[in-house]
Amino acid sequence: MRSLLERCCSKCWHSTEYPCRNYVRCRLEGPLCHDDPSCREARRARIEEIKYGRYGFKIRVPLASCSIAAGAQEVYEAVVKEVKSRGIKADVGRVGCTGLCYLDPWVELHRRGYPPAIYANVRPEDVGKILSEYLSGDVSSAYALRYRTGRARGEDKVPTLDELDVWRLQVRYVSRNCGLIDPESIEEYIAYGGYRGLDRALRMSPDEVIEEIKKSGLRGRGGAGFPTWLKWRICRDQPSKEKYVIVNADEGDPGAFMNRLLAESDPHRVLEGLIIAGYAVGAAKGFIFVRAEKPLMAERLRKAVEDARKYGLLGRNILGRGFNFDVEVILSAGAFVCGEETALIAAIEGRATPRQRPPYPAVKGLWGKPTVINNVETLAHVATIMAEGWESFARYGTEKSKGTKMFCVTGAVKRTGAYEVPLGTTLRVLVEKIAGGARDGRRIKAIQIGGPSGGCIPAELMDTPIDYESLQKVGAIMGSGGIVVIDDSSCMVDVAKYFTSFVVAESCGKCFPCRVGTKILYDTLVRITEGEGSDEDLEVLQDLSEVIKYASLCALGGTAPNPVLSTLRYFRNEYEAHIRDKRCPAGVCSRLVTYYIIDSKCVGCGSCARSCPVGAVSRGSNGKYVIDSSKCIRCGQCFIVCPVGAVGKR
Amino acid sequence: MVKVIVNGTEVEVEEGATLLRAIQRAGYEVPTLCLFGHMYREASCRVCLVELSNGKLVPACAYPVSEGLRVLTDTPKVRRVRRTVIELILATHKTKCWECLRKGGHCLLLKLASEYGVEGIPVCAECPLYGEDCLVVRGYPCLGPITVAGCGAQCPLSGSYCIGCRGPITRKDTLREAARFYAKYGVNIKNVLSLATIFWGRLSEFNLVRSELLNSFTNYFRGGGP
Repeated sequence: MRSLLERCCSKCWHSTEYPCRNYVRCRLEGPLCHDDPSCREARRARIEEIKYGRYGFKIRVPLASCSIAAGAQEVYEAVVKEVKSRGIKADVGRVGCTGLCYLDPWVELHRRGYPPAIYANVRPEDVGKILSEYLSGDVSSAYALRYRTGRARGEDKVPTLDELDVWRLQVRYVSRNCGLIDPESIEEYIAYGGYRGLDRALRMSPDEVIEEIKKSGLRGRGGAGFPTWLKWRICRDQPSKEKYVIVNADEGDPGAFMNRLLAESDPHRVLEGLIIAGYAVGAAKGFIFVRAEKPLMAERLRKAVEDARKYGLLGRNILGRGFNFDVEVILSAGAFVCGEETALIAAIEGRATPRQRPPYPAVKGLWGKPTVINNVETLAHVATIMAEGWESFARYGTEKSKGTKMFCVTGAVKRTGAYEVPLGTTLRVLVEKIAGGARDGRRIKAIQIGGPSGGCIPAELMDTPIDYESLQKVGAIMGSGGIVVIDDSSCMVDVAKYFTSFVVAESCGKCFPCRVGTKILYDTLVRITEGEGSDEDLEVLQDLSEVIKYASLCALGGTAPNPVLSTLRYFRNEYEAHIRDKRCPAGVCSRLVTYYIIDSKCVGCGSCARSCPVGAVSRGSNGKYVIDSSKCIRCGQCFIVCPVGAVGKR
Repeated sequence: MVKVIVNGTEVEVEEGATLLRAIQRAGYEVPTLCLFGHMYREASCRVCLVELSNGKLVPACAYPVSEGLRVLTDTPKVRRVRRTVIELILATHKTKCWECLRKGGHCLLLKLASEYGVEGIPVCAECPLYGEDCLVVRGYPCLGPITVAGCGAQCPLSGSYCIGCRGPITRKDTLREAARFYAKYGVNIKNVLSLATIFWGRLSEFNLVRSELLNSFTNYFRGGGP
């Protein structure tokens, strides 16, 4: 038996044509149809081998798009080369990303009997040193350990992951396999307990599956938080024979990447959730709508679909339960508006513009047939809930928002990454404890949550618990879970301008309020940041934002003014400083900044004068330089080149 | 049948009908711009927004009715949003109304703009052709059918703006139709034909039907009818 998924002996008979009902359980619990100690032993040994490697030494290198961008591919190649040249008996495994992006690229070494040691920010040239050290039984230079065993030298000096805030405060429910298994191997997924959820779901009736999800209290993780079971129930109750399920892997918020991370690190979990959703609503066809801009994600999902089909987990008569289901991977052209269900459906049919709802997709969706669209994370949760039971999920979270959710914390924090926390955790825990707070001694000013559709909430409101209702109350939305932390070096008007420019570019142009309104919002913001705003502009922003919110056709327009409305609500003083004092408090808006030379610091080197493109810097009588603000075009070159930091801006 | 309450008035409409139908049946008006019967139902112009009892604004032209739905068509909120939407539409509009094919009282957008008090309306709204009848209807022997421009007045045949029938008529049956049209409005066909000869004289079809037309319409005026 070379693979866990193959037959142990001739008595095993599962194939795609004649599926065995106990196929998934049989992989883990040994042969169920016949009693043969040697087969059982072979299975057990194979599982051991997958988890610890053939020689009891396994090296894991995360290889997802994010880690590859950080240089993990080179590290992986260096590890493979080193292992080969030294003749070390070890398995080098490509795994998914753990979500601790600030540590990429990382290498995890696990030799049986020794603690699994994690080395972070590894460069290819460090690999040799790390390997010899670990092999000599010394882990003292490791970044962290996965857990302690009490054998290796220097172990007590290195923290375990569980001791670090960044790991301790997380609950790895849906992301449990991320960074642990090879995403391209269905065998590893099953060895780590995969497809048990599907197995359990297919033993229930579809109504029982919906009931189970209802009890768990799972709500859509894509943004609006619509109860998943209700969507399924509505779709199931439609009389139509043909139904579809779609997984929306077209994540497009700036600063959100949890869907990509999940689908790249654990694609089978998403696929399993999709099959369960198909079974629950009675669909025979599923679609994975994935962004073409994320080729690795598309490739891994496609590989997952092929593998599942090969072993009879997709196709006709799945696991002998008479349920037929197939999945097609569709590459999208990548439009933010596809976060709107009706636009996603229209994109599959041809052109991505939203439609007026109702009728809702669950009633009349793809090609006029009832359609359920779920987010990647929602479906990954479904697979986990079905495997573990609803109690395991409902244990976490608050009364109305149950379970855990992945958040991507980016921006001006020490530890950027994707973290999974129970809902109801406060923003302070997430931003200050897990992500480590502001960088370089700065102060956190605001938190932008929910992407371009969300809002900026001030640092004073950091004790807001993260759940659907509380966030709505303070003027933001959970969205897909992207959190951009903004420190005091950013100008809030500029932030609002950035997010509005994103919406202007992504608006599909079908309805007037969104197409024209957002453009006018953007133009007004540009005017304000250039110092040409008037008090009237604030009224225009407020009124127009409200109208866009009410009158737009879809959720993109309905939420597009949120960044403007929330910054107006909490940071009105910054707008007023731009308009009345013609001053940008954070010194970001280039047209409103005045550069000056601090006399006491100036050493008279003259590099500012040489770099000035308009000759606005001249030498004063005391040998120090002066900037003529009437000539200055505020390019900031002098500020950049000054070796002693004598150029100030205000 | 589904019961809908429009501004307090109860009306019954068929299941699956739109809110617009219910509102019209109740005797209220809601402006529409992008709705063209069954051809186009995309709800993209957003001027037909009406308010539901939960405060939500929905487009009447695409929203399906449901039992007991309460809808208000003319609240301050609706008017305010509608007005802003019209402003937004006009914000990107060229407003070169003289070049527009819909000039002369057939432009819904201009009507709406003046109704909702949107400022900066183009000059065309005070246009003398606004709402005026076709010259033929007023009894003038207009030579519209031989021009390509048209006067823009409302066409008594098609109801759309006058485009001068897109240039000189050459087909025989269309000529007959045109002559019948003149006759219907009491324009002296002899006058028209003698005028038309100046322009149409070179057209072989015209010469072929000229005498035929004269005869048949002389009969028509005698009381025979076509």
